[in-house]
Amino acid sequence: MVFTQLLINSLIIGSIYALVAAGFSLIYATNKFLHLAHGVCITVGAYLLFLLFTQLNISFPIACILTIILTSLFGLCLYLLIYRPLQKKKTSSVILLIASLGLLILFQNIIQLFFGANVRSLGYLRIEHGLTIFGAIITKLQIIIMCVAILLFIGLLFFMKKTKLGRDMRAVADNKELASIVGINPKKVAIYSFLIGSALAGVAGILIGLEQNMEPTMGTELMIKGFTGAIIGGIGTVAGAIPGSYMLGIAENFGIWYLPSGYKDAIAFILLFIFLLFKPEGLFGVVKGVKE
Amino acid sequence: MLEINELHAGYDELEILKGITLHVNPGEIVALIGPNGAGKTTVIKSIFSLANVRAGKIIFKEKDITRIKTHELIELGISYVNQGRIIFKNLNVKENLLIGADFLQDKDIIQKDLDFVYKKFPILKQREDQLAFALSGGQQQMLAIGRALMQNPSLLLLDEPSLGLSPKLQKELFAIIQQLKDDGISLLIVEQNAKKAIEIADRTYLLEDGNIALEGGKEIIKHKKIKDVYLGGRY
Repeated sequence: MVFTQLLINSLIIGSIYALVAAGFSLIYATNKFLHLAHGVCITVGAYLLFLLFTQLNISFPIACILTIILTSLFGLCLYLLIYRPLQKKKTSSVILLIASLGLLILFQNIIQLFFGANVRSLGYLRIEHGLTIFGAIITKLQIIIMCVAILLFIGLLFFMKKTKLGRDMRAVADNKELASIVGINPKKVAIYSFLIGSALAGVAGILIGLEQNMEPTMGTELMIKGFTGAIIGGIGTVAGAIPGSYMLGIAENFGIWYLPSGYKDAIAFILLFIFLLFKPEGLFGVVKGVKE
Repeated sequence: MLEINELHAGYDELEILKGITLHVNPGEIVALIGPNGAGKTTVIKSIFSLANVRAGKIIFKEKDITRIKTHELIELGISYVNQGRIIFKNLNVKENLLIGADFLQDKDIIQKDLDFVYKKFPILKQREDQLAFALSGGQQQMLAIGRALMQNPSLLLLDEPSLGLSPKLQKELFAIIQQLKDDGISLLIVEQNAKKAIEIADRTYLLEDGNIALEGGKEIIKHKKIKDVYLGGRY
């Protein structure tokens, strides 16, 4: 019983981590810098839903759609107004990383300024008894979270594999200079990767806002977890970031079967260090090289 | 067909090309040879806006293309096979070929081009679903050239196509280059292998320190300068 419960808990939190990691990886793959402000996009998503739904009384489905669109545009603005001008000056990826950290802190504090540091809750769903599946308890919302995440992943992978834009994204991720030589417009690819990646962050924000409560610093922790998931799976491969994140969820939840639950974050960090030290290309990263 | 006039170009502060003038006539193979660092690759990179052009003009079919966007160059009929990491390693062979042909729109033309490339390089057809990094070095070079041919170029720029290939594969490659000329494509080739380059080229330019030191047909192989720079020394 404990086993199934832990497994289900792993899959729920893994779905959230994977949503974060997928968007983050997509942006990393096509832009080759760490967009840590992706974390604050999640927070923006959660608070936008809070604002639209509880403050402005917009109906829930419409508020969700608006949240996803606005979060997507928010991410795009970060790219167009901050990162792109920096890239034009040929700044290194370290500078872009610092800029992204700055944005993360800035917007976290702006949100705190407007909404306060208190924990907020959407109060859309009433607290209810969960369903029992194989002796494990799971709520309807948690089932929805998993289904939404999985559907989005299937959609994303299909998009990356089967559409021209997805193929162009993989090409830019593979070799940016060659991509521009063959006539792909790297700016267009970057814009779409920010739009899609940030939309995923918006979805993550909505789901977390529903499942847990929200606070201005929520994005930072999720960013660290999503980043860890992306590293485990192989940074730069969207298809790897998803299983990597589920593995992180499993490691965390089964780890605290033996350890006090306060060690949950420590497990993530230890995994992060182990992978960065011993397998920096991740589990699913493609080993590059020419076969002779 | 292609004219480069008094080209000064480089990277950031560094000036590499110090006033290069050269041209490629229709249906011609032109080779650019010279020691490392002479600026051979920079000539091609300038055409594709990958180097900073300070002064001078690049003209293609009577159109000034000096600062034109890459995709417009391709639409005009210039394709580029760069040196070294020349293919998308994580895309499959077919995707690598199709990726350059997006601007063509017409599916029949794309299919015709694909058949043409597969006929030229049958191994690519056999391995079309495999990821490109699984190909051997020679097959990767064929894939890179095939990808450029998908764009239906009238002028093909090849940067060090023989680099890292075995002598047997080099021989095959130069035969293919000859065939491309017979297909009516003009070629501008940057080559380390000076002897081979002069042999297949209609005309050759020798670059030294950002300047053109020598220009001529196949007879320049006997020129003292070529012997000094190449054949006497390292080759």
